[in-house]
Amino acid sequence: MIQNLADGILTGSVISLGAIGLTLIMHVLRFANFSYAELLGIGAYAALVFDRLLSALAPALAAAFRPLTLTGSLALATVLAMALTGASAVAIDRMVFRRIRARADPLSMVFASFGVALIVRNLITLAFGHRAQLYSNDIAFAEVVSRDPMLLIKPGQVFVLVAAVVLMLALHLILTRTTFGFALRAVAENPTLAQVAGVRLAAMVTAIWLIGGALSAAAGVFYALTNHLSPALGHNFVLPLFAATIAGGIGSVYGAVAGGFPVGIASGLSLMILPSGYTPAMPFLIILAVLLVRPHGLFGEARA
Amino acid sequence: MVYPTSIDWGKPIAETALWVAEMINAAGGVDGCKVDVVVRDDQADPKVGVDAAEALVDLDKVQLLIGTVSSGVTIPILTSVTAPAGVMQISCCSSSTRITALAADGTTKGLWFRTFATSKVQGSVAALLARDAGIRKVTIFQKNDDWGQDIARLAAEAFKGAGIEVAGQVAITDGQPSYRAEVTEALATRPEAVYLALYPKEGISVVREWIALGGTTKMIGTNSLKSDEIRDAVGLQYLADFIGTDTSTPRTDSAAAFPTTFETRFGRPPSGPGLPNSFDAAAIALLAYHAAGRGATGAEIAAKVPLVTDPAGEKIAGDVEGFRRAMALLSEGKSGSYQGGTGAVVFDRYGDVTAPAVSWTFGPGGVEERRYIPLEEVGAFIAALN
Amino acid sequence: MIGVISYLAFFATMAGILAIAVLGLNLQWGTTGLFNGGVVAFFGAGAYGTMILGGRPEPGQFGGFEAPFLLAVAGGVGLAGLVAWAVGLLTLRLRHDYLAIATFGVAVAFESVTRNAEWLTGGAKGLRGFPRPFEAAVGDPFLYGLLFLGAVLEALGLAWWGLERLTASPYGRALRAIREDEEAARAIGKNPARLRLQAFVVGAMLMGVSGALYATFYAFIRPQDLAPILTFQLWAMQLYTGSIQYILIGLVIVLMLLWRPEGLLPERIGRRTPNRTAGTAAATASKEATTP
Repeated sequence: MIQNLADGILTGSVISLGAIGLTLIMHVLRFANFSYAELLGIGAYAALVFDRLLSALAPALAAAFRPLTLTGSLALATVLAMALTGASAVAIDRMVFRRIRARADPLSMVFASFGVALIVRNLITLAFGHRAQLYSNDIAFAEVVSRDPMLLIKPGQVFVLVAAVVLMLALHLILTRTTFGFALRAVAENPTLAQVAGVRLAAMVTAIWLIGGALSAAAGVFYALTNHLSPALGHNFVLPLFAATIAGGIGSVYGAVAGGFPVGIASGLSLMILPSGYTPAMPFLIILAVLLVRPHGLFGEARA
Repeated sequence: MVYPTSIDWGKPIAETALWVAEMINAAGGVDGCKVDVVVRDDQADPKVGVDAAEALVDLDKVQLLIGTVSSGVTIPILTSVTAPAGVMQISCCSSSTRITALAADGTTKGLWFRTFATSKVQGSVAALLARDAGIRKVTIFQKNDDWGQDIARLAAEAFKGAGIEVAGQVAITDGQPSYRAEVTEALATRPEAVYLALYPKEGISVVREWIALGGTTKMIGTNSLKSDEIRDAVGLQYLADFIGTDTSTPRTDSAAAFPTTFETRFGRPPSGPGLPNSFDAAAIALLAYHAAGRGATGAEIAAKVPLVTDPAGEKIAGDVEGFRRAMALLSEGKSGSYQGGTGAVVFDRYGDVTAPAVSWTFGPGGVEERRYIPLEEVGAFIAALN
Repeated sequence: MIGVISYLAFFATMAGILAIAVLGLNLQWGTTGLFNGGVVAFFGAGAYGTMILGGRPEPGQFGGFEAPFLLAVAGGVGLAGLVAWAVGLLTLRLRHDYLAIATFGVAVAFESVTRNAEWLTGGAKGLRGFPRPFEAAVGDPFLYGLLFLGAVLEALGLAWWGLERLTASPYGRALRAIREDEEAARAIGKNPARLRLQAFVVGAMLMGVSGALYATFYAFIRPQDLAPILTFQLWAMQLYTGSIQYILIGLVIVLMLLWRPEGLLPERIGRRTPNRTAGTAAATASKEATTP
């Protein structure tokens, strides 16, 4: 019970991080973006490449910060990957979504996003192959936090949680303390009104893709750090990310943060009431329950 | 021929079968005709597979369909395409015991054969190895698909039959971001060993998580884990107690010769799953086709299969010379005993074969065989379980 | 020549079967504006309901009642309607993406049940069907294929005709009215909640018909079949990553949406059969769903 809760919170932090950008995109651009989760994959693989490059260039960086398996080069690589993924997100928007936005309805966007997801995932497969890859072959053993009740935590998971929270706090400060953040929230609140008030929508959309891409890259790296990389990495997160976004309420950054945790915890707790084969359904049942009580999600508002 | 040619492990299986067709042609062809093999990809997807099979039967007018790998694709092809159309079907690799049931109730009309032993052999051998290792309590991780559910059920029965307690059965659904909860659940059952009926993809996640959380390194795994991917991702130091199971080829000359001839032809050793099985499936099918004569129907070809695999017949080797000799014998109406990559193949009345087994382990150079368990021993153990 | 016709018949049969589900989706989304993200649940309910009622008994397995074919199909379609009714009561007050994800969740839950409840659905290995009706009597596979196609097309035509009548009637106008402006519809005395539920259930029953025919045709249904259909056909393809052709399919879709957002064939689905290749099927679905 305690163990499942702890694990759920740790998994939830990755989901929350990924869901932040998705919720903004879904709200401002008004479409369900099925390719968004692929940004996690782009980020994780970009970090892998940067990590290999950096540790080859500067072997000193390749030493791990014990007890973590995280190395200096990977930490740097993560920052680079965040930048690169943000840029790729903007590039994908320019190449595909912006053109469709100008001409067709949201549903075309949804199907275009399916296509984009396929392309991204297959490009990753072509470049890196099907095989699972790891940042580090070491297995970081879990520390026994408590024996009764049994609670095991991996150091990497704690790092991920802390890093995710730091990133979220940074975003919170940007959103609440800067003019840019104010403009961003205005756009998220009501794009039309924000434009009337002199906010440049196109620039804000770019900013949202950048932020979303960067946070997703971090989420992808954090996930791969405690698990492994495979071309399906992003795909496996499509549903959890949507679940977190919807449960939290589309358009609400805080909702996305709050929505990630129940989704993370749900699959763990489901094992206590249902056989293990049913875990994939559990997050959706949670969402269903949330929506029955709050039809627009935890923090969402009705929109026209 | 329908095989998942677009999948990395499916392609060599198809290439092996095509190689057999080449050799049959070199030996004179089926009843004097050159064999023309039409290959279709099934992408391991039932809809694509059925579509491919339907096209072969309708458009290409095949009477003999070789394929496919996944039981989930093989079964709908069998029930909705080949059996209704009276086309013979032979597979290299489908292991589901469900097909045995289909054969038993007559759905397959005797048109079905496979050169791969059912999951029962592997499941039982896992229990045999666990018993010999003195393990009394296991927990099972099973891939939550048809293969995983099938083999886990057979293994659980075998464990219980051998007096080993099955403390838990945890289903692993693929494509989940994390298996932490499932591993935690299994950990709570405190087994002496775990049985892994998984594929490498989720196997890596589960095993790494399992070890990181302090689970036992005593693991028994199915042949699906026989891949360097697992060894590299988990690390040899944690795999010292790992025992793998697999069905094997009998220790006969023909089976021993297969890797060498394969390497001569393809310039690499036969490392993927199902290659000798694919070879034998194609060879037996084409020889039976020869015996039935050109223009034969699926049922007529199927009826000649026992002639090719008659234990009392003259031994037939799996090469151009052997095929030439076999075809001469069959043309005279005599029988032969085909000795292929999986040894002397004999089908039971449901088109199934049985097989000896091996245990294997991970080593620095790849997969290393540990123990050969002959057909008789496997059979005796299975008999003792019931 | 007969081979080519036989193959085309097979192809058209599949297309016809799926087109029935598309008609159901068109009623839900096109006419009433309900974003159903869980088509497979109703398709699956129809398929499994039919198989359980009409199938042959197997040890350790519920069902296998060997019901006559039409009764089995009716049961399957009824089950689809029942599931839709329950789901609709719970979720239809949700809007847009929220409804889509809620119904999608229902589909995932349904798939989970079919995958795990072995006593009821056979688990992941699937449920074996019954011999196709009259197949033994007809004998000749080619003739049978044509007859089956005829039956499917008849069902499709019937569904299309029924929907056409429905949408042209005042009832259809009421459905469109609540799609366009719920408040206004309410003001003229319509009950949006009830109309919406009715449209949802009828649409789902058509998906059930499609599922029932699908399972009958293959004589086999398994959880994996509940992933790759209609709107989610592409989705399923993502599971089998890795070959260049998927990149091409994805490219075709993106390019098509870029250059021809109104679809290759801008006409209504009821008058044509969707192509089974992923690209055009998705485009069909997208096109269809966007047609008012």
